Amino acid sequence: MKIAIVGTGYVGLVTGTCFSETGITVTCVDIDKNKIDALKKGIVPIYEPGLAEMISRNISNDRLFFSTSLKESLLGADIVFIAVGTPPMEDGSADLKYVLDVADEIGECIDKYILIVTKSTVPVGTSEKIRGRISKKLVERNLDISFDMASNPEFLKEGAAINDFMHPDRIVVGVDSPKAKKLMERLYHAFLIQNHPIIFTDIVSSEMTKYAANAMLATRISFMNDIANLCEILGADVDEVKKGIGSDSRIGKAFLNAGCGYGGSCFPKDVKALIKIGKENGCDLELLRSVESVNQNQKQVLFKKVVTKFGKDLSNLRFAIWGLSFKPCTDDMREAPSLILINDLLNAGAEINVYDPIAMEEAKKYLNDKVNYYEDMYKVLSNCDALILVTEWQEFKVPKFTYVEKALKSKIIFDGRNIYDKKQMQDFGYEYYSIGR
Amino acid sequence: MNIAIVGTGYVGLVSGTCFAEMGINVTCIDINKDKINSLKKGIVPIYEPSLEEMVIRNLNAGRLSFSTELVSVLDSVDIVFSAVGTPPDDDGSADLKYVLEVAKTFGKHINKYTILVTKSTVPVGTANLVKEVINKEIKLRGKNISFDVASNPEFLKEGAAINDFMSPDRVIVGVETNKSKELLTKLYRPFLLNNFRVIFTDILSAEMIKYAANSMLATRISFMNDIANLCELLGADVNMVRKGIGADTRIGNKFLYPGCGYGGSCFPKDVKALIRTADNNNYSMEVLKAVEKVNSFQKSILYKKLKSHYKILKGKDIAIWGLAFKPGTDDMREATSLVTIQLLLDAGCNVKVYDPVAMEECKRRIGNVVTYATDIYDAVLDADALIVITEWKQFRLPNWKVIFKSMREAFVIDGRNIYSPGELSKLGFKYSCIGNRNCEI
Repeated sequence: MKIAIVGTGYVGLVTGTCFSETGITVTCVDIDKNKIDALKKGIVPIYEPGLAEMISRNISNDRLFFSTSLKESLLGADIVFIAVGTPPMEDGSADLKYVLDVADEIGECIDKYILIVTKSTVPVGTSEKIRGRISKKLVERNLDISFDMASNPEFLKEGAAINDFMHPDRIVVGVDSPKAKKLMERLYHAFLIQNHPIIFTDIVSSEMTKYAANAMLATRISFMNDIANLCEILGADVDEVKKGIGSDSRIGKAFLNAGCGYGGSCFPKDVKALIKIGKENGCDLELLRSVESVNQNQKQVLFKKVVTKFGKDLSNLRFAIWGLSFKPCTDDMREAPSLILINDLLNAGAEINVYDPIAMEEAKKYLNDKVNYYEDMYKVLSNCDALILVTEWQEFKVPKFTYVEKALKSKIIFDGRNIYDKKQMQDFGYEYYSIGR
Repeated sequence: MNIAIVGTGYVGLVSGTCFAEMGINVTCIDINKDKINSLKKGIVPIYEPSLEEMVIRNLNAGRLSFSTELVSVLDSVDIVFSAVGTPPDDDGSADLKYVLEVAKTFGKHINKYTILVTKSTVPVGTANLVKEVINKEIKLRGKNISFDVASNPEFLKEGAAINDFMSPDRVIVGVETNKSKELLTKLYRPFLLNNFRVIFTDILSAEMIKYAANSMLATRISFMNDIANLCELLGADVNMVRKGIGADTRIGNKFLYPGCGYGGSCFPKDVKALIRTADNNNYSMEVLKAVEKVNSFQKSILYKKLKSHYKILKGKDIAIWGLAFKPGTDDMREATSLVTIQLLLDAGCNVKVYDPVAMEECKRRIGNVVTYATDIYDAVLDADALIVITEWKQFRLPNWKVIFKSMREAFVIDGRNIYSPGELSKLGFKYSCIGNRNCEI
């Protein structure tokens, strides 16, 4: 089997590489020539554990190719995936420009049946739009070539994407023809024989599933953040509450961590996009609007705690920040709570030192020289009035507190992810602030 | 071990009977003399599968007794459970009158170390109030008697309460001393011999867990109802979306069923109470406020579906299957059926209802403004539409051919997505369900 994947961003690259790992011949296509040249040499532009190694392996086994020509890549391909970016526009809706450009190009160059699969997270109804664009091109070319559409949303977690792809909870595929279904079954054959469930559905429901899943996860987080803030007021401990409700099998343990807000490229974008889709169709998704607004507030909760402790004017104070990326194991800074916190601290006159194991380069694009970058998690603390933990990287979980004490001016920690034992921190003599405890 | 349980409502009766079943000597206390007298005869005032049988068995075995006097048993018990009612005030907050009365009696009359465990769902912080009341009473007596308070919220599902109690997912116990922890461990060990699933925590968190758990479940439902309504508009099928997201282990596949709104004595009350607690402390629970709003909207959705089918509803005969807020109970508190019936009556419809268990309860609540059918087939006779509100098992596979002939207009509105649209349309029905407009044929 031969497939093409258009777009070598996060999703396209992981998807293409993992398919090639199962023996399929994959060509990854991108218009960015520099990127393709680098990839051909095995240089991977994003950070994802295990990815670079897998790319090199499949390049040398002649199963994974990179190209700037969509037309050439489509030659002999059974399936083409569209995995280009859909950046959010001002109003929160996804910008489909790249997706539709690819559709036009496919319509311009196919000369036999092909299955077109949308992998990018696209608004409900986009597959229909793509179908229309391709049909139009075929009419212009005066050709009668049949093709099918399918929707196959990705559910990859940055930092665990390879594992997520190779061992999925489920694979959701929306199709509307038996032929397309058969092709997708062949494509996912390696997964089917390992009993990973494929849920076949119609295309619209498949598109919706992606948004609904992310929206539900975001809802769990905002729900817990609301509970955490109330716990704090009433004197309860949100981590105890988490244990208590997570043991209810109807609720489940995962994704109940209170913190300083969700960020990243998926949750904020998908929640906003779904609200927008609802609005355009006369449906006010009230619950999701509340999820979104709780998250906005939550991203300021650390700053508020700092102000409560130090007062509104933070000039002459210096804070150390551990963790910049929106979550561990990624260098993704999109919508990261750290950005809002840093901005608020700077506006209040504070000096800021930052450290992140992976996201420092990425962070420089956002923060420039407004903060001081340190390459060491202890050196970053020197002369600081407090440590603020924003991202729960593993290496922060059991730090050498003797080093921390020595470096900090005063033993004050704000823990935005509740990774330390409250009692222990008090025993160590820290002034310790966390979320909802 | 001897314990007393104050309050013979739903929670008190189930808890007391189940403890007795485990070999513990239990006295259930209630101030209502008539209730106690009939319970002594084994007559159970609520509907809960296999409860009555268990009450009688334990009465006969001498492990379960009923009394109107807490004072008379106080000297012989180790633990007193308070399971009295906390009816919502007009503003949605729980009325603690009865809870505090129990505390007062307890403080006035204990003569040795005893634990007072609150089982009723009470606002966060109530155990502290209870403690204050007891301390005050003991002080008034000029005595120095040690006691403990604890919180042990119940997680019983009406209709499945016996099983929930006898083999719980987990038991939450909030304590503040080792002594009370030991005693309560002893009490619960027989239930959890293989895998001791008691989560001990502080009292405030235990109180919060109950509200948070119910609120999260309500959130799942309102979330899915929002998604269902959007699916309907976009032409997606919410059942497929449910399968797709439920397969994500971080989400889980339970409690994701869209429908016509949640009701009952717990979810609406607990969600409102938590919102209220927060409001009182100048915090706004935005997610929960939205959950509430979505739910009240959803309760009118069946009516809206009918209305969009028949522009004029005046004089239409409408059948309703299911009155209880969920199957397996006669509880109609905050039931969607009540909202729907009211809307239909206001629109000038004639309403005929059937429920396998909740008919008496319905009569008590709304009397003869609706007609009570003798069975599901009687209900649909000459009806212009059938609205299914509660997913009782006996509704799931009716004789559709008989129903088709009986109805004036073969139109079914399925508020719980229990039917197969294909099957119904083949038989000539018009069908409408939640979150899938393509099934409307």
